[in-house]
Amino acid sequence: MDENIETIKTGFMEALPLAIAIATYGLSYGVLANQANFSLVGVVAMSLLVFSGSVQMVAVAMLTTGASVASVLFTSVLLNLRNLLYGAALAEGLAPAKKWRWLLSFGVSDEPFVLGSSRFKKHGPDPLYFGIVIGTFYIAWACSSFIGALIGNQVDPQKWGLDLAFPITFVALLIPSLKGKPIIATAFAGAMIAISLEYLMPGNEFTIIITGVLAPLVGLYLKRGAQDA
Amino acid sequence: MLNHWILIGLLSVTTYISRIIGVEVMAGREMSPTLRLYFNYVPIGIIAALIIKQILVPTDGQLVISIPVLIGCLATAIVIKKVKIFLPSVVIGAIIGLLARYLLN
Repeated sequence: MDENIETIKTGFMEALPLAIAIATYGLSYGVLANQANFSLVGVVAMSLLVFSGSVQMVAVAMLTTGASVASVLFTSVLLNLRNLLYGAALAEGLAPAKKWRWLLSFGVSDEPFVLGSSRFKKHGPDPLYFGIVIGTFYIAWACSSFIGALIGNQVDPQKWGLDLAFPITFVALLIPSLKGKPIIATAFAGAMIAISLEYLMPGNEFTIIITGVLAPLVGLYLKRGAQDA
Repeated sequence: MLNHWILIGLLSVTTYISRIIGVEVMAGREMSPTLRLYFNYVPIGIIAALIIKQILVPTDGQLVISIPVLIGCLATAIVIKKVKIFLPSVVIGAIIGLLARYLLN
């Protein structure tokens, strides 16, 4: 029992700093979803049911730029591909949870993956820890989305700079991950492809999908080239 | 409005499937290293494209660079590179972008 309490405490304390960052992100999502004409219930329902920062932000941003449901869905599938890898890597650490794995799998994403895999490496399988981490993130995400959607109605986004939240948040997520030539080249290729597509067809809805499919090929080419050399 | 609810339903199902497949099905199976690498790079490409789409704003069929967004993004990039902490970087980037908008108007 004492061991479980210790695990709960550790999980919560280690998740807390990231939960604060997630909450600011959730606040931005709430405001942006509100601007994309989602109802308050819709904003919170998406957070409760999807629980994926990148997918939700991308969906809302794409809808704001006039994208169709089909293109949003296709882009989200591309974004979700990495969950396959996260899930496979976390599977052993979550194995003791047995049937609860179905519930814990709901939290497989970037931040829980980082904390979970690090914990499993040090302490072996620990589903309780993972559950506490994703529970903390889930509450932070749902509550902040709700607050963001509430204030979204009452503030002029341009006046308060809230329209800047989306690109700035993504820059803050992108920059720390730019390590190594293949990743930097992927980001650069992504930017170049997106600029070209936007110049050819301003405001078109395929830019993100085409870039998402093509840009990784550049990183892949460089990485394979380096491995073969 | 109905479209929004359809989208929420589809996104929740597809996102959950991507999560559960990894845990339940892919565990213990070998994935081609090439495919694994490709998946790793997909989010980078998509995020880069999203940033570009926010900086380049289509106006009357022409692309216009949003200078406040560009400055905000550059400021955020510099701050996160230096301090390596998410929250202050976002706040400082937003303040600088807002200041740029105020000064340019």
